[in-house]
Amino acid sequence: MRLAFAEMRRAKLRFGLLTGAVALLVFLILFMQTLSSQLLREFVGGIENQSASVLVYGEDARRSIEGSVVTPEQVQQVSAVEGVGEAAPFGENSFTVRTSSGELKDATLFGYELGGPGEPTTLSTGRLPERDGEGVASAGAGAGFAIGDVVEVLPGKYPIRIVGIADDASFNVQPTLFVSYPTYEQAVRAQNPDAQAILPTLVAVDPAPGVSPEELAARITAEVPGVEALDLATAVASLPGVASIQQSFGLILALAFFVVVLVTGFFFLILTVQKTQALTLLRAVGASTGYLLRNLLLQVVLVTVVGTAIAGGLLAVAAATSNAGFQVEADPVLVVTTGGAVLLLAIVASIASIRRVARLDPAAATTRPTGGGLA
Amino acid sequence: MKLAWKELIRRPSRFLTAGGALTLIVILLLLLGGLLDGLYLSATAAIRAQSASVIVYSADSRDSLLRSRIEPSTREQVASVDGVESVSGFGIALLGAEIPGQSDLADVALFGYEAPNARVPAPLPTGQVYADRTLQDEGVAIGDTLLLGPAKTPVTVQGWVQDTAYLFQGGLWGDAETWRSVLAANRPDQVLGPGTFQALLVTPHEGVSPQQVADAIDGQVPGVSALTRQEAILALPGVEQQSSTFASIIGVTFVVAGLVVALFFALVTLERVGLFGVLKAIGAGSRRLAAGLAFQALLIAGGAFALGGVLTLVLAQVIPPEVPLQLLPKRAVFIAIGIVVTALIGSAISFRRIVRIDPASAVGGS
Repeated sequence: MRLAFAEMRRAKLRFGLLTGAVALLVFLILFMQTLSSQLLREFVGGIENQSASVLVYGEDARRSIEGSVVTPEQVQQVSAVEGVGEAAPFGENSFTVRTSSGELKDATLFGYELGGPGEPTTLSTGRLPERDGEGVASAGAGAGFAIGDVVEVLPGKYPIRIVGIADDASFNVQPTLFVSYPTYEQAVRAQNPDAQAILPTLVAVDPAPGVSPEELAARITAEVPGVEALDLATAVASLPGVASIQQSFGLILALAFFVVVLVTGFFFLILTVQKTQALTLLRAVGASTGYLLRNLLLQVVLVTVVGTAIAGGLLAVAAATSNAGFQVEADPVLVVTTGGAVLLLAIVASIASIRRVARLDPAAATTRPTGGGLA
Repeated sequence: MKLAWKELIRRPSRFLTAGGALTLIVILLLLLGGLLDGLYLSATAAIRAQSASVIVYSADSRDSLLRSRIEPSTREQVASVDGVESVSGFGIALLGAEIPGQSDLADVALFGYEAPNARVPAPLPTGQVYADRTLQDEGVAIGDTLLLGPAKTPVTVQGWVQDTAYLFQGGLWGDAETWRSVLAANRPDQVLGPGTFQALLVTPHEGVSPQQVADAIDGQVPGVSALTRQEAILALPGVEQQSSTFASIIGVTFVVAGLVVALFFALVTLERVGLFGVLKAIGAGSRRLAAGLAFQALLIAGGAFALGGVLTLVLAQVIPPEVPLQLLPKRAVFIAIGIVVTALIGSAISFRRIVRIDPASAVGGS
């Protein structure tokens, strides 16, 4: 193994550049993975982590919560569908709120019937609202709400007291407040005194025991005119932006992985080709194929591991300096799994080099003039 | 240069790796740039379309068009601020639209406006709208009557306008009355009182800068937030964060490109140390050899850009339409210049080695 280290010591520039390129590429991969998963969580967390397993949209909403409106009659009709355990109106809207410290913030309010479907499921501290004027806020550095705070919905200054905090409950990259449905209605009136009527955004539905959400959603869509019902997983996957975020980042990640593999694979291949004479000589003086391969693989592993470690460090720096409004988290598990995948791919990419080393003929050393042989 | 060119032609395999890696990086850069442009343009077109250079929101809306409300009395105050030439009202409703002959609904943003802007002529009579060209892909045709929202309020398309989408939804432009009646029928919680708009579009007097007018409005009219058009664009949800994040990713990718070029030219130079020694021994200077290397880097970067560009165009044809990718010539030129400069910088890493090559090594000295 000394051979591998000695070569790396003597060719610092080459191995330094490769390690740098791998480190930056792995950082790009880590950063984009973090960004996309964080973005998705911030986009959909509030809906994903509420209790209703079926959500019923206005038909024209095209599965967009912001675009959906249902009528009270439709809420009644949904309640009457066979297999519905409980159905209740659910409101969503974006507001400007003033926090206890006087800061103005954007926030999404989710209004649900207390004790019914639509309540937050990831409460980490405090309790659920028990009366109007109380709310559970989403956690997160950018949210800035604490239990006991009173936030005011502007411009009407409608107050909501925070009684609980829920994890992963942001929606559309904004902090969320889960409140009673009447509180939601009051908040909409506070925001727009000209409002003629406050209609529910969705119907939140819990299936009766033994009925699957998928089956119930299909039944509601078929039986209630003007609505589209979705089970929660489908609703989350169908939210505007989710598919495009997944596809865009998936494509870029695939390309970035491919570049790492290409760069690493070809670097070691070129290096092996350049060292062919020296490696042949080593074989001729007794070095086994296994020994040479172990040295090659050690270099691949070292470059990848050091590159991944640097990339992990860069991600930690990016996380530490990220905006409080959109906090990037450095997840060690992600660093390890991505590093593992890159290492695996780097080893696969080195197969051409491995094959070349394995096929070296020690006797060829005697035919090379630079090796002291006769051409 | 001739030698460098001949080497590239006769030994292309030597440069294939660097070229291949750079081509992939170019694709990565073009896709990233295309996504950034697509996200930015689709989200901001309606604001960019405004010829008014100042946009006024209510202060407690935090510059959100959807949450803002400007009363008629506030409008009068804004209109009387020094430097203000004209003021017009502006509002929006985001809805689904039923298109004749189409089974799927389309997402639309219906704008209510009072005065023509850079891309949309003066408002049509109530019930008639201009439609953004993007809606043509959804099956909209001139003369179609679209049914908006759950109340299926009819509006008739009378003409096309270009690049006026808002937050990825195709724009429909109607007079204020059309907008108000659609809101009343479909979004009763968003209805605004008579004369009330979500925002005001302000045109300053000639010679007065938008920033001056925005500052004057902020200073003299209580309860409003006046932004220049560019500030209003950046105030749209996610636009600023999106742009800075993608710009950082693109920057890091350029650095990767530089490192890859540096790495492979270091390897290629190493392979040619003996050859360079001979060339130096017969009189070729370090500068000439370095210039040849830079020339090769330039050609490889140019070739990688051309190939990467073609492959990206092919790829763009198979990327799902939900991905907001927009490949713009301006972005392509930026990436072409960036990749060439990066490649030149990367190749410069090997100059030091070339300078250190001793001509005597050609005859066995070292």
